[in-house]
Amino acid sequence: MSVLLEGSTTSATMRRNFWRGVWRVMRRKPSRLAGAVILLGFAVMAVFGPMFYPEHLPRDLAAGVYAQPSAEHWFGTDGQGRDVVALVVTGSRYVLLSALVTAVVTVVLGAAIGLFAGFRRGRWDTALMRLTDMKLTIPGLPLLLVLSTIWKFGSAVEMGLLLGLLGWGAVARAVRAQTLSLRERGFIEAARGLGLSTTHIVGKELLPSMAPYVAMNMLIAVTGAVYAQVGLFFLGVLPYEADNWGVMLNLAVFGGGAMTTTAALPYMLAPLLAILLLTLGIVLVVDAMDEIFNPRLREE
Amino acid sequence: MAHPATAQAPGVRIDGLTVVYRTPAGELPAVRDVSLTLEPGSITGIVGESGSGKSTLALSLLNAVQPPGRIAAGSVEIDGLGDVARFEGERLRKARGAHIGYVFQAAQNSLNPLKTVGKQLLDLGRSHGVDDLRGLVREARELLGRMGLDGARVLDSHQHELSGGMRQRVGIMLALVLNAHLVVLDEPTTALDMITQANILRIVREVHAERGLTTLVITHDIGVVAEVADRLAVMYGGRLVEQGPTREVLGAPSHPYTRGLITAIPRLTGDIDEARALPGRPPTLVTVPKEGCVFRERCALRMDVCDTDDPAAAEHGARVVACHAVKVREHA
Amino acid sequence: MTIIARRLAGHAARGIVMVFAVATISFFIIRNIPGDPMAARYQKLLEQGMSPEAAERATTVMYGFMPKGTLWEQYTDYIAGLFTFDLGVSVTNPGTPVTEVLGEAAKWTVLPVLAGTLLSFLLGVVMGVYAAVKRTGKLGDLLAISGSLLHGVPQYVLALLMMAIFTTILAVLPAGGTADILFEPGFNAGYIGSLIEHATLPVLTYALASYGGWTLAMKSSVVTVLGDDFILAAELRGLKRSIVFRYVARNAILPLFTILALSLGMLFGGAIFIEKIFNYPGLGFLLLESVTNRDYALMGGAFLLITLAIVVANILADLFYTVIDPRVRSGGEVS
Repeated sequence: MSVLLEGSTTSATMRRNFWRGVWRVMRRKPSRLAGAVILLGFAVMAVFGPMFYPEHLPRDLAAGVYAQPSAEHWFGTDGQGRDVVALVVTGSRYVLLSALVTAVVTVVLGAAIGLFAGFRRGRWDTALMRLTDMKLTIPGLPLLLVLSTIWKFGSAVEMGLLLGLLGWGAVARAVRAQTLSLRERGFIEAARGLGLSTTHIVGKELLPSMAPYVAMNMLIAVTGAVYAQVGLFFLGVLPYEADNWGVMLNLAVFGGGAMTTTAALPYMLAPLLAILLLTLGIVLVVDAMDEIFNPRLREE
Repeated sequence: MAHPATAQAPGVRIDGLTVVYRTPAGELPAVRDVSLTLEPGSITGIVGESGSGKSTLALSLLNAVQPPGRIAAGSVEIDGLGDVARFEGERLRKARGAHIGYVFQAAQNSLNPLKTVGKQLLDLGRSHGVDDLRGLVREARELLGRMGLDGARVLDSHQHELSGGMRQRVGIMLALVLNAHLVVLDEPTTALDMITQANILRIVREVHAERGLTTLVITHDIGVVAEVADRLAVMYGGRLVEQGPTREVLGAPSHPYTRGLITAIPRLTGDIDEARALPGRPPTLVTVPKEGCVFRERCALRMDVCDTDDPAAAEHGARVVACHAVKVREHA
Repeated sequence: MTIIARRLAGHAARGIVMVFAVATISFFIIRNIPGDPMAARYQKLLEQGMSPEAAERATTVMYGFMPKGTLWEQYTDYIAGLFTFDLGVSVTNPGTPVTEVLGEAAKWTVLPVLAGTLLSFLLGVVMGVYAAVKRTGKLGDLLAISGSLLHGVPQYVLALLMMAIFTTILAVLPAGGTADILFEPGFNAGYIGSLIEHATLPVLTYALASYGGWTLAMKSSVVTVLGDDFILAAELRGLKRSIVFRYVARNAILPLFTILALSLGMLFGGAIFIEKIFNYPGLGFLLLESVTNRDYALMGGAFLLITLAIVVANILADLFYTVIDPRVRSGGEVS
């Protein structure tokens, strides 16, 4: 509606509006603040958590295997008598470290390719987008399964790298779309007309204005990556030595018989709850971002 | 002619209309205390820059201000209908379309992209309890033919198969086909090429006369108003600053804003330097002054009183002007 | 019609390139397997006293893959095999061609996936409309948040939770398989009942896993359409609410049909978790088994078939779109 606020669009006011938007959204629905808190909690757990445990977790012979939850073992013990909570904490490092690597690779590759395609347009754009389309259509999980026959993903960094290489497509599309739309609004031509260099336009004008959008797509991509790697470990196609929630799930379901007896259920539920909580955190944060940057969904 | 001129054309009296929009900064008026009379059978033009509140005013005529906006005060009295601002539910729905026709800007997609024009016409007929749908289609075809289109073909087309000028004529057809006698045209020529603009304006004039309508044209283009309107109303910052017979207002503008608007138009003949743009920018919902005259920031005749008192609309013969300076000059 | 043909040709061309790409990936993976099982097999057959030609033929039949020759020869031979639907023989099912094993597995994937997806689509669309219309209310909020959560949670988490609740704790539904072995497979009530009973959890899980996505997609689509000019125009023409609602619904659901076809294709690949957890012998299960058992011919075939499903789904989605959207039909662009 034309009557509504046609503010100036310099990046300074955009930033100010952004923080005001964040503040307004957070204030209206405090539950969204919880999302940020949850994500922060997981980060702290992954960075500092494993420091509190020895490299090889002790077996509690008194409690036995698949012990039921108690004050000492909140989620019981696993098939070797190890504390399940400790396993979740030590497993979080692999999961989150590889998620971080995926995030970095996804954003760098996705933003670079998207910017390039949107900026150059023409033949480069067509070629790159065809490639992206194709990459988006190759079924990801089956590809990972097939790749697992020749690659073992021993380290979290390796895993993150691969998932990033497979997952930049969505971010590239988003960045390209944003670049094109800014271009359509005469943003780039105007900056050129002011005699600004390409690096300045990209670095100081384009990227900041689409950063939140990129961040949102990145979060979604990272969520997918977390699920994929935990899932791969769960399916049992990767080595069991790694500390990963997926290994716990696999052992609980296919080793502990969680499908037929209730004994191993707590062992299975602990990593599930961790995944659910992480998902909740990401969903809340993405939801808040969506509301800040997508005024059409704003509830007025 | 099938429709005796002016026999059914209703008069409209807008009185003290105020429309507010809810924003994070509280409720802000987009239209403030506007009074305007549309004489039966007349064409009235409302001119203003974007953000002046003219579209909001037009929507008020159908009590169709979109949330977060609402009519906060005032009435819109239409002959034969009553105060539309008080209408609700089915009563309001039936008034729209059947009594008041609204024609969207051509660039806006006012048609369902998935249905042919003909099917949408039938939806319109069914919504308003038209029994003789064949007759409706015949009427629509005639109207389209009257506007120089191949009626049967247009009814069989989807929106994307029609040009801007054709869409505009389809919009006019849909507004009139139920025999509405009050028509609101929102920016009828914007985004059309010059030839099509001229055609549409000729059609508006002719159809207006033939069918006996009361017409309201909203535009930012003074040329359009000069071409079709009997009366002209100028809006600025949600206020109606001047209104009167088109010729008088254009020939001898009283309000400094109207004067500014007219001197800003470059002429085909004469020096381009004679055209002077108004200094400054029009206010937005947020920047419009809360008290005093809305135009004072850009006004050449600004006085002390303008900062504190909002000038009331005062009649000067056939003219209504809201300006302290104009008053002073007259009394002096 | 020519426009449809042209679009179809474009899709087909891209599809063929896709299949080639995937076949090439399979080829290089199989060729680079640690330990080179094909060479080992070939050597073993030679040691057993087979002639080199016979040994080579036997190995080729086994893996759908030439054990010797240059990279290029191996590659062209592999691709040529694809054209004749010769994907080799499955090691884990001795004597059965890969194509036959795949066909058997495909039917256990197609039906549950189809049933689950359609169920969730219908439910999600209805809830999405509701969430969009009531987006200022508490219930709309709840729907949107629950949709986001379900959408965000990975399939295997849902599947495991469903399993824990319905088979481990409540023990009301069977833990896995396609039907009880007590019943004679065939058209009899007992067998069919058992089939349905066993399919319930997988189908429900598919439905639950994609329901959130449909709700969200429909909500945002409806919100977008509600902001379109023609909806305001329809209201200003005094159209009945029911008719305006139909305008909104039809325009909003249109983009979802494309996603529907695409997601059906994608689900073939995504079915791995659900089939593994519920021990359901579909395509995903097969792919996983072939990876675990190092049955390379089967692995390559399953991967290819899953890709093919996506390619076909892409084409179907586009065809479908062409049929229901008049703008595409006449060659106009779609916003």
